Amino acid sequence: MVDIRVVGARDRQKQEFTEEISNLVCPGDVITTDTGFMRGHGTYMEDEKLHASVAGVVERVNKLICVKPLKTRYNGEVGDVVIGRIIEVGQKRWKVDTRSKLDSILMLSSVNLPGGELRRRSEEDEKMMRNYLKEGDLISAEVQSVFSDGALSLHTRSLKYGKLAQGTIIQVSPSLIKRRKTHFHTLPCGATIILGNNGSVWISATMNEETEQTGGYEQDLEPVSKGDREVIARLRNCVIALSEHQMMLYDTSVLYSYEESLRFNVKDILKPEIMTEIIENTQPRLESLGT
Amino acid sequence: MRETPLSNCEREFIRKALGERKRLDGRQAYDYRTLKIAFGYDRGCCRVDLGQTRVLAQVSCEITSPKQQRPSDGVLFVNVELSPMASPVFEVGRMSDQGVEINRILERCLKESRCVDTESLCIIAGEKVWQIRVDVHVMNHDGNLIDCSSIAAITALAHFRRPDVTVDGTDVIVHTIEEKDPLPLSVHHMPICVSFSFYEQGKFLLVDPSDKEEKVMDGKMVIGMNKHREICSLQVTGQMLLLKDQVLRCSNIAVVKVTEITEWIQKALENDRQARSNGERFGFREAVVMDTVTTNQMNPEKLK
Amino acid sequence: MAGVNLLSDQGYRIDGRKPNELRRIQCKLGVFKQADGSAYIEQGNTKVLATVYGPHEIRGSRAKLLLDRVLVNCQYSMATFSTGERKRRPRGDRKSQEMTMHLKQTFDAAIMTNLYPRSQIDIFVEVLQSDGGNYCASVNAATLALIDAGIPMKDFVCACSASFVNDNPIADINYLEESSGGPELIVATLPKSDQIVFLEQNSRLHEDNLSKVIDLAVKSCKDVYTVLDQTVRDHVSELSNSHGWDH
Repeated sequence: MVDIRVVGARDRQKQEFTEEISNLVCPGDVITTDTGFMRGHGTYMEDEKLHASVAGVVERVNKLICVKPLKTRYNGEVGDVVIGRIIEVGQKRWKVDTRSKLDSILMLSSVNLPGGELRRRSEEDEKMMRNYLKEGDLISAEVQSVFSDGALSLHTRSLKYGKLAQGTIIQVSPSLIKRRKTHFHTLPCGATIILGNNGSVWISATMNEETEQTGGYEQDLEPVSKGDREVIARLRNCVIALSEHQMMLYDTSVLYSYEESLRFNVKDILKPEIMTEIIENTQPRLESLGT
Repeated sequence: MRETPLSNCEREFIRKALGERKRLDGRQAYDYRTLKIAFGYDRGCCRVDLGQTRVLAQVSCEITSPKQQRPSDGVLFVNVELSPMASPVFEVGRMSDQGVEINRILERCLKESRCVDTESLCIIAGEKVWQIRVDVHVMNHDGNLIDCSSIAAITALAHFRRPDVTVDGTDVIVHTIEEKDPLPLSVHHMPICVSFSFYEQGKFLLVDPSDKEEKVMDGKMVIGMNKHREICSLQVTGQMLLLKDQVLRCSNIAVVKVTEITEWIQKALENDRQARSNGERFGFREAVVMDTVTTNQMNPEKLK
Repeated sequence: MAGVNLLSDQGYRIDGRKPNELRRIQCKLGVFKQADGSAYIEQGNTKVLATVYGPHEIRGSRAKLLLDRVLVNCQYSMATFSTGERKRRPRGDRKSQEMTMHLKQTFDAAIMTNLYPRSQIDIFVEVLQSDGGNYCASVNAATLALIDAGIPMKDFVCACSASFVNDNPIADINYLEESSGGPELIVATLPKSDQIVFLEQNSRLHEDNLSKVIDLAVKSCKDVYTVLDQTVRDHVSELSNSHGWDH
């Protein structure tokens, strides 16, 4: 059965907001004429006046003024966890697409060789690069450093990073991912979720403990059971529901929305009214947590 | 072939010189280069030299069926070819962005300003009309192709004669030159394009930029005007921000230039007309200067 | 087309507007989830959709890479059903190529290109229904899409057209007024400083009237700016409220 809706019939529930955000600016607006401030992102100086160059909210930290836009491409910081796809195999490096302003780079010296050996990379290793990671592979990695032009340098030096297999990936806006101490979460429902800072969310079934520490190159291609698949699908729809309603994504919010969604069928979660209902039930629970 | 970029020192030099109001060839800011117009043997063939830039325009005509929306109007088709002969940058085949730009500017200037009366080109309404085709070939590129092409195109149109036609019921008889004199096209007015190039975000402007000056410019404005001070087309391109009075100042300068150039064209047309009617020799051969020295060594053949 | 009275004796145009009145503008930001930025605008009967992708790594020919600036890549396309008669080539014909070039130049001047060297920003514009003022609606839609994508710009870029009929300058002309053979002036400005980014004029206009027509077009751009500005503010307020913005 196919579910068809007419666009006009969608009830757009406009949230009532009491007053307009006071420090909202649009490109070209004058923020201040005071020259004592330092210019941050999203601003430019012209004729002794500070103008905004993006549409967003003005943030003032002591003497620094910057304008934070609603959404931008991912800006990498050192230590972030990202999920990306290999797009090119080059000389001693892989090019990874992390949905940021420039492609990220994974150097051959920043990966763990299979078998876990620590040795100098030889010419043989360069030729075997394609055996480890080739175009189209999905990896999780951490940002090691940022080049001067803004490109990220990644590394997969820990055993928890590496090639990803058998799961589902969702792209959301990077501003919805809350910065936490850890981005790898094992949920009690039987699935592992990786919340990449670049807006990519990866959901897969929880691996058994023993088979996990292989250095990240062996893909477990055992068939996933139906129960696990359903859990993964339900989690995916919940993440989509949270992102549609612009809610921050972190382990607690995903877990609560999963629990709220158990009443419905997995495929019904994608319907707009059911999405709204789940979110409405999740929000008070999160607020009562005091987050 | 990929364009050789202009070196940084050349760029700096030209910019600095412009700051002191000096141009590379010693012209003033609003001066045109030497304009030479020559006509070919055939009617409608015209060659225009603007400094070193050389452009050849040829007008031809053909009888076709008219457009659906305008059954009693003739068709004017303008085409500019940038051949590799003019510059190694131009490539055969797909038209580059620059080619599209020149084509569109000329199309707008000539077609949409209705300089040629298309209704007089109608033979049998709804069935047969004249299609006038102007082909402009750039032979040498030394900057300012637009001005040169527009002068060539409009001069060729004014020079052209189309065969005379008589309609006999549904038959159309096209007379040859021997039978009846060919007729000129009815050109209402002569739109000429004047190019301005801007430097330093609009602080300096030059008229008729040469190739090197074009490579250094921030932006360009093309004003197509006729001598009655009507603006036929106006286009500002390039990444610069202009103010309204700069635009008006340019249009004032364009008025003066267009009057000069139109006079020049009329003189050239007049000279050619006299040459043809007095039985003198005319054509490109006459435009070639014969008394310049082209070799410095000669080995004459001894006749046996 | 002779015989069509573009401006009646009482001073009303064919669609009932006054000479300096704009058509109704309705616009919306963020219509597509997958694009970095998107917008939809309706100016009278002209409907245009714009999407922005970027900044991202240069795709296609690496030869076009600019070392100190971002490469702005535009594509202007008209749907085959957008005009009265079915359009055979939605893109690639001369007029579309010219429009593409003009859009690229306009936004090259307005985007702060030196912030993203070696990257590429794609702007795709699709005209769904064409009733005059295609370029203007495209520029307005692309501005909104760029703001939605969070790409820094010096200012909004607003565009409007104007014409001159019976000694009166008229603003925001529709298809009928365009094709009647009168002069058409299209101008794109940065409304706060009244700087002209793009100016184009077709058909014959006497030099004495140029100043009046430009003035009216620039003023109309300011009016367009008021509408676009309000839309952006509403959109930002709505989204930032649901975000919480406590971090």
